[in-house]
Amino acid sequence: MANRTYEVMYIIDPETPGDKIEKLNDAVGKLIEKEGGTIVRMDDIGMKNLAYPIQKKETGHYVLFEIEGSGQEIAELERRMRVNDMIMRYITVRVDEDRKTATKLRDKREARAAKRASFRPSTENQQTSEAVDA
Amino acid sequence: MAEKDMEIMDVKDMRLDEEVIGDRPRRYQRKRPRQVVPDYVDWKDVDFLLGFIPERGKILPRRISQISARDQRRVSKAIKRARSMAMLPFVAD
Repeated sequence: MANRTYEVMYIIDPETPGDKIEKLNDAVGKLIEKEGGTIVRMDDIGMKNLAYPIQKKETGHYVLFEIEGSGQEIAELERRMRVNDMIMRYITVRVDEDRKTATKLRDKREARAAKRASFRPSTENQQTSEAVDA
Repeated sequence: MAEKDMEIMDVKDMRLDEEVIGDRPRRYQRKRPRQVVPDYVDWKDVDFLLGFIPERGKILPRRISQISARDQRRVSKAIKRARSMAMLPFVAD
């Protein structure tokens, strides 16, 4: 099973106390590891203004996880997040494929640039042509 | 008149004059400097995505932004993801 990388982001109700947020994040981390995933990155972004009100609230506490795994832990995690009252919104994005295409595109562009550079006259030649002009 | 038509045809055939297609001049400038779209469009990069959102909150159409079709698809997808997480507005006024 090829490993997949996911980004999971959720918005916590701004009225939840700080210790509860920490507990929730710990619980999420433990759940992922129990289900066989690994946490690549965990980022507690913190309070941010929302672009539009959600549940009549103007701010939210953002948390971002980057997870590597088979995809089973995502199913379980989404099920838990759906029933959790503290989580106002969540999103899961699979990023490994897009990143792979991005590196491919970059490699292609670099190869093309290298090829073009090999055709360009070297600095020595340029100097001689300038000398001729003068 | 006929002579003039022929002349125009000739110019078009030889692609000497690409500026004028049809009778009217083009409404949009085609070769406008594009915004550079990175290889990986991050849906969390709000500052970058805001470049494609005029004040009304709509996604800038491709004929204005002049980015490639692939880039436009990636950018619009990223904007939609960011919208669902309240990082960008659906409508702004």
